[in-house]
Amino acid sequence: MNSRFLRALLVLIVIGVSLALVITRAHAQVETPEPERVIIGQVIDQQGQPVEAAEVMLKASGQTNPIAEASTQPDGRYTLILPSSNPISGSLSVDIQRAHFKDVDLELDASAIKDLRLGETVAMPVITLNRQINLAFWIATLTFVIMLLLIAADKLHNTLAALVGASIIFAFSYSSDLLGEGLFIFNFQGALHYVDWNVIFLVMGMMIVIAVVERTGIFQWLAFVAYQLSGGQAWLLVTILMIITGVASAFLDNVTTMLLMTPITVQIALALGINPLALLMPEVMASNVIGISTLIGTPTNILIGSYAHISFNGFLVNLTPGVILAMLGLTIYSQFAYRRELQVASEVSPLLLEKLSERAHITELDHLKKVGWVGAGMLILFIFGENVHLVPAVTALMGATVLLVWIKPDIEEMIEAVDWTTLVFFIALFIVVGSIQEVGLISMIADLIARLVGGSLLLTMLTVIWVSAIISTVIANIPFTAAMLPVIGYLSTIVPGAHSKVLFFCLAVGSALGGNGSLIGASANMVTAGISERAGYPISYMYFIKKGFPALLITVGLATLWLILRFLVLSPPPG
Amino acid sequence: MNEEEIRHIICAVRGRPESRATVTHAIDLALKHGARLTFLHVMDAEFLQHATIGPLSVIYEELNKMGQFAMMILCDRATRRGVSEVGYVVMQGNIRNQIDQFVRNSPADIIVMGKPKPKTARSIFRENEIRVYIHQLEEQANIRVVQVDPDSVNQKPPDKL
Repeated sequence: MNSRFLRALLVLIVIGVSLALVITRAHAQVETPEPERVIIGQVIDQQGQPVEAAEVMLKASGQTNPIAEASTQPDGRYTLILPSSNPISGSLSVDIQRAHFKDVDLELDASAIKDLRLGETVAMPVITLNRQINLAFWIATLTFVIMLLLIAADKLHNTLAALVGASIIFAFSYSSDLLGEGLFIFNFQGALHYVDWNVIFLVMGMMIVIAVVERTGIFQWLAFVAYQLSGGQAWLLVTILMIITGVASAFLDNVTTMLLMTPITVQIALALGINPLALLMPEVMASNVIGISTLIGTPTNILIGSYAHISFNGFLVNLTPGVILAMLGLTIYSQFAYRRELQVASEVSPLLLEKLSERAHITELDHLKKVGWVGAGMLILFIFGENVHLVPAVTALMGATVLLVWIKPDIEEMIEAVDWTTLVFFIALFIVVGSIQEVGLISMIADLIARLVGGSLLLTMLTVIWVSAIISTVIANIPFTAAMLPVIGYLSTIVPGAHSKVLFFCLAVGSALGGNGSLIGASANMVTAGISERAGYPISYMYFIKKGFPALLITVGLATLWLILRFLVLSPPPG
Repeated sequence: MNEEEIRHIICAVRGRPESRATVTHAIDLALKHGARLTFLHVMDAEFLQHATIGPLSVIYEELNKMGQFAMMILCDRATRRGVSEVGYVVMQGNIRNQIDQFVRNSPADIIVMGKPKPKTARSIFRENEIRVYIHQLEEQANIRVVQVDPDSVNQKPPDKL
C-alpha cells in the first residue's frame, strides 16, 4: 500500500466523517422541537377555593376556534400548550367557562404575547370566578330542602328520600340539552366525584363486624351483669348501663347498640318494677354522647373524619376528655331527672330473675373470642395505621374479611347482614349534597357565617357547636353534617387559628349531642322509642324534649367548655 | 253464652301500665269461672322497616323475648292470684290481623281487651274503629269480646256476661 493511497483514504475518511457530522447535526436540528409556548394559571372561586373542571381556552381575536384548550385540575391550575404550527399574531385572550359560574374573558397584554413569541412560559394572574345564580341553583336547593323535610317528617324512608333527590338532580341535568343549559347541575361523572367512598367502605366493613358481634349475645349478657353489679340498686344500675351502652356505642353503631340493649333493659326494668324509661332515656343519651369519642362511633364522625382527614387518634385525643366531662354531667342529670322512678324499685321475683338470667347469656362464645382478637387488631390498626397511611376504611374491610375467613359463617347471610339501604342512602345523600355544593349554595352559607362571625375563632366555635346542636334536634344529623362539611372546610381556611380542625370537632360535638334534644334528633332515639312503645312504654315527642333538651344543654355546654380549653387555652392559635 | 261455657279466656295486652285494669279483669274472670287464661301479646315490629339498621332477625328475636318476658310477668301475677291454668302467646306482625288469626284458631270463649282512651294517639284502635273490629271479631270468630276501661282498675267482673 503506497503513501498516495493512504493519503487518499485519509482524505476520504475525513470527508466521510465531516459529512456524517454535518448530516447528523442537520438531522439533529430537525428533531429539536420548537421551544414550547405555554400559558399557566389558576382559577379560584370567591372563597379562594380552587375551581376544578373549568374549561380554559386560548383564543385569537376574531376567531371562534380556540388555539389551545385545557381543564383545571383539583388545585384549580391549568396549563395551555400552544401548537408550534400556530403563528402568534394579533391579540389573544384566555376564556374560562364553568357551569354555575359567570364566564371570564381575560385579554393577554402585549408583554405576555411577546414572551409567548419568544417561547417563554407566561404565568397568568389568578382568576376568580363569580357564582351565577340560575335555575339549577334553585332546583338543587329546593330538592335538598324537600329531601330533608321528607326525612324529618318520616314521610319516606331516608334512603328513598335521598334517592328521589338524586334522581331529580339527574333528571334536570340530563334534560338541560333539550330544555335549556340553565337546568344543568352536574352529570353522572361529576356526581360520583362527590361520593366519599372512604365512608361507604368503612361503614360496610363495620356492618359486617357488627353482624357477627350482635349474634354473640354479648349485649344481653352485659346488661344482666350490670344488674348483678348494681345489686338491684336502680341508681347504680342506670349508671352502669349508661357506661356499658356508651362504651359499646364508641366502637359500634349507636342504632345497633340501642336495638340490642333496649329489649333486655326493658326486661330488667320490668323485673325490678321500675319504669323502663328511667333506664332507657339515660342509656340512649349516653349512647349519643360517648359515640363521638371515636372515629367509628357515629356516622357523623365517619363523615367528618373522612372529609377533614381526622384520624382515629384525632377524635380520641381531642374529644374524649370532653365526652367524659359531658358524661359526668349527664349521669348527674339522669339521676336527678329520674329520681322518683329510680326509687320505686321493688324486690325481684326469683322466677323472673331466673328467666332473665337464662336469656342473658353469651350464645356464641367461640365467635365472641374471635371477635375480641380481631377487634383488638382493628383497634391497633385504627390507632397506629395512620403512620403508614392506612385509611380506616381499609382497616374495617380487612377486619371484616379476617372475621369472615376465621368464623366461616354463611357468607350469603353475612352479605345480607350488610345494611345496603344505609349504604345507598349515603351514596344518594352525597350526590344531593354535592349538587348544592356544585351550584354554590354551600359557598353562600359559608360566606354568610363568615360575615356573621368575623374573624373570631371563639365566636365561630360557639356558632358551629350550638347552631349544629339546635338544628340537629329537628333535622337528621347525617344529611346536615354532610352539607356542613364544605362550609366548615371553608371557615377553617379563613378564620385565624381554625387550621387545627377545631371547627370540625365543634361540628362533631354539635351534630351528635344535638341528637339528645328531641326524639327525631338521632336514629338511636327513634328505634329506642319504637321498641319501648312495643313494650307498652311509649316515648312521646314532648316527653323526649322534656327530658332530653336539658341533657342537650348540659352535655353540649360541658363539651363546649372542653373544646375552648383544648383549642384556645391549652393550645392557643399562634399570634 | 252462659257462665258454664267459659273455659278459656284470652287477654290481649301490650303490657303497658294502662293494661293493668284489663289484666286484673281477665284474672278475676278466670278465677270466677275456673277458666284457663292465655295472655296474648302481638309484637308489631313494622317500625323497624323505617330504620336504617342491619340484620333484622336478631332484633326480631330480641323483641320476641321482650314480649315473652312481659307476658311471663303477667302469668306470674295470675298464678300468685290463684289462676291454675295460665299461659301466654307472643305473635309478630300486624296487631289486628294477628289477634284475628289467633282468636279464629283458638277454642277461647272470651277475649278481654283494653278500651281505647279517647284522644289518645298511642292507642292501637280509635274509638269508632274498635266497634267495627269487635263486631267483626264476634261475628266471624264466634267469640265474646269484653272491653275494659283502663281507668277502672278496681272494676268488678260482671255477674253475667
